Amino acid sequence: MNRTVNVVRMQLINKQTFVWVPLIVLGASFAMSIAIYAVLYNAGIPGPFYGGGSQAPLWVLLFVGVSSLTLTFPFSQAMSVTRREFFFGTMLAAAMCAVILAAVFAIGGMVEDATNGWGINGYFFALDWVVASGPLGAAFFYFVMAMLIFMLGFWSATIYKRFGATLLTTIWVGIGVLMIAGFWAIGSFDAWVEMFTWFAELGAVGFAAWGLLLTVVLGGISYLTLRRTVP
Amino acid sequence: MTTATPVIEVKNLTKRYRDTLAVDDVSFTIEKDTIYGLLGRNGAGKTTVMSILTAQNFATSGDVRVFGERPYENARVLERLCFVRESQKYPDDALAKHAFGAARLFFPNWNEELARQLIEDFQLPMKTRIKKMSRGQLSAVGVIIGLAARAEITFFDEPYLGLDAVARQIFYDRLLEDYTEHPRTVILSSHLIDEVANIIERVLVIDRGRIIMNEETDAVRNRAANIVGDANAVDTFVRGREVLHRESLGHVASVTVLGALTAEDRERLAAAGLDVAPVSLQQLIVRTTQHAAAGAAASDEGALR
Repeated sequence: MNRTVNVVRMQLINKQTFVWVPLIVLGASFAMSIAIYAVLYNAGIPGPFYGGGSQAPLWVLLFVGVSSLTLTFPFSQAMSVTRREFFFGTMLAAAMCAVILAAVFAIGGMVEDATNGWGINGYFFALDWVVASGPLGAAFFYFVMAMLIFMLGFWSATIYKRFGATLLTTIWVGIGVLMIAGFWAIGSFDAWVEMFTWFAELGAVGFAAWGLLLTVVLGGISYLTLRRTVP
Repeated sequence: MTTATPVIEVKNLTKRYRDTLAVDDVSFTIEKDTIYGLLGRNGAGKTTVMSILTAQNFATSGDVRVFGERPYENARVLERLCFVRESQKYPDDALAKHAFGAARLFFPNWNEELARQLIEDFQLPMKTRIKKMSRGQLSAVGVIIGLAARAEITFFDEPYLGLDAVARQIFYDRLLEDYTEHPRTVILSSHLIDEVANIIERVLVIDRGRIIMNEETDAVRNRAANIVGDANAVDTFVRGREVLHRESLGHVASVTVLGALTAEDRERLAAAGLDVAPVSLQQLIVRTTQHAAAGAAASDEGALR
């Protein structure tokens, strides 16, 4: 257990990747979004303004997930760490990072609601659909999104490391084909309305619960793959 | 020196990559508190064997025991081992202090003072990112981790790549100094056989995935002798012996013969006015390896016919 905690410390030993880069991206995309909202507001557009900028720090986690495997896994082997310790320590480090992001997003959303969008009716954190579930629901949603995106990177890197680029590409193309087939099916059954209703009724928390399930499944696959991966 | 306490026992270890046999049904033991030289040509299987012993790679078949246990996913065993590869990867953007900081967390015998001294000895830059370091500096990071970890079994895989002669000598000196104070098992894979000849106590030679020698260095040295002197006298003496190598210049010949010299041999040599020169370990191993290769090639041909 102690060594698993040490893996967390090893992943965080260089604070840049796990802590500072996501926070810098968050700060920068926040500042840019608010600046754009302010320009629009000054031009006399009443808003409310929403943007996709808040996704940016989440997508950074994709790269964090990739590099925590491709570079830190071979290093952890040199540190005589078992694969199990490496996996759970890395997941713990990712969870800590996701908790911090989720807290920032939830608190940011509360502040935005309280200040009517920073006084200019501009919303970065408080996306309607997400904050409808309350601050805790929003925090859960962002936590799961952060973990899921991290896991997508980690899982892809594990598959790549163990089986090579061909299989990884095949899997991603396969996922793409399945999604298109899904859209086609929804379209041909005229089910888009039902689909969106289902989505809205599911809410952010329900959506996140499915995301959590997917994260756990990908995590399980990654762990089993990692057990026979050579650094 | 033979304590007969094996810390590693390998039985019938085989590793097959798709179409190549990297390790071919190998069995050997490694004794406690001894410095081993794991010698062999490129692609002979040195790194593969070390990777399997440290559970970084997997055997196709066979059994590996380290401290009596299987090393795979076994933290109890692994924390007593240290294996830094020649092409070791480090976390993105890591500085040397980050790598050493991690090593301090995982190696129970890590010695910070030794690490600091080595950083100074190798003049390792502490503010350069590891990925921006020169080949030699990168090797120094690995060497420092391997030495300062003071693991009970330490594997060095070609640790000197890119290190200049001075830095290599520092490595050999520090290794020997620290080994004398804190005896442990060291397995050093190397191409520079004569350079490491003086520090290794046992020689483990691997060739084409097979262990062809696992002996004390001194015993290996005594297995052959270099006879130097008048060509005719040398020829007379070596008649009937297995000659590994011969060189001649004018009337003077230098012939390497296999087999330890007896007291009687030495009397004959003295009477004939011939000198006995030491055989370099490198030469001896090169000759033996070539010998084995020739033998293997011959039997391969035989199999074809």
